[in-house]
Amino acid sequence: MQIENNQLIDELLARMKKCTRSVKGFEALSVGQLQFKNGDRWSILECLEHLNLYGDFYLVEIEKQILTNPRRNTSTKFKSGILGNYFANLMEVKEGKITKMKSPKDKNPSNKDLSIKTINRFLKQQEQLVNLLNQCRSIDLTRTKAAISLTNLVKLRLGDTLRFFCYHIERHVVQAERALAEQHGIVDNKSKSLLQHG
Amino acid sequence: MEQFLIKRLLDAADSSGINKIFSKGEYLIKDGQVEQSIYFIESGAVRVFHITEFEEQTIRFGYEGSIITSLSSFITGKPSEFYIEALRKTAVKIIPKQLLFEIVNEGPETLHQYNKLLEGLIVQQMEREIDLLTESPIKRLQRVLGRSPNLFQEVPLKYIASYLRMTPETLSRIRNS
Repeated sequence: MQIENNQLIDELLARMKKCTRSVKGFEALSVGQLQFKNGDRWSILECLEHLNLYGDFYLVEIEKQILTNPRRNTSTKFKSGILGNYFANLMEVKEGKITKMKSPKDKNPSNKDLSIKTINRFLKQQEQLVNLLNQCRSIDLTRTKAAISLTNLVKLRLGDTLRFFCYHIERHVVQAERALAEQHGIVDNKSKSLLQHG
Repeated sequence: MEQFLIKRLLDAADSSGINKIFSKGEYLIKDGQVEQSIYFIESGAVRVFHITEFEEQTIRFGYEGSIITSLSSFITGKPSEFYIEALRKTAVKIIPKQLLFEIVNEGPETLHQYNKLLEGLIVQQMEREIDLLTESPIKRLQRVLGRSPNLFQEVPLKYIASYLRMTPETLSRIRNS
């Protein structure tokens, strides 16, 4: 894909705004609702903590690249890379797709001390993300590369990293919304239209 | 300690009947709420902590006999950036802002003691600032133990480690050496 920086950032900010608003809504829930698990599926808090763990890596990595980026002959048009585009598309929430992915062991939120603090941490990460996204408007998102959490050896174009990271957040916020809806018996438990981690 | 002022506050709290018992893990105040009171700890212990994007930082403890509050929020009226959490079952006398200032403004003696209280707090803050600038983990521990010798009896290890800005592993190693 080819897109103007500002357009890309605006789109990502809009998506993140929705996610933040959703999660702010969770603050009114009881601890029981936040921790409720439908079988093996993640609770709301587990979804958010999983995102927090990714944020711990990516917020630092993204900021690092923004600060060390050379900025000469900066282009404000972003062109996706093959690998980056693949990862981003993999993450994007699409209806009617069945893909179960195992989450990396160190990003597993289970068996952790989760509470309302988890929500607060997520909201702070979202604030920082908005901050970073706006700073990215003037960065060359094609030539600046960022590492992925799995290994330092693979670097994606920063624009793709931003897409991947934001779509990942969207995915798990939607998963958390489902976890809430399931508690009210609104959603069919066997429905498989979302990518979920096991 | 500013005995007269404290006694006045506690008597007033008694007659206003604002006593509360917090169970372990309960919050006296949460991030985002506006602090309207100060808390006198009759029994038990609390910790004050701040959450960043990446971690939880314990910045203060309150033991039996101490007064604690989310101070900046109390003073400015802005939302608290701190949580205050009970480390175990904790009995607290809650003194609302209005009551505090009624008593403080009763006369020159109470006003004078309130000033002394604040001065003490400022000095404590500078001590804490030096804590944080102290490179050596051993020294950091020694500084805090000097102020609170019963620290390890009152507070779980992981929170002490957070307060001292070191991992629980490092803290254990220092204590065992």
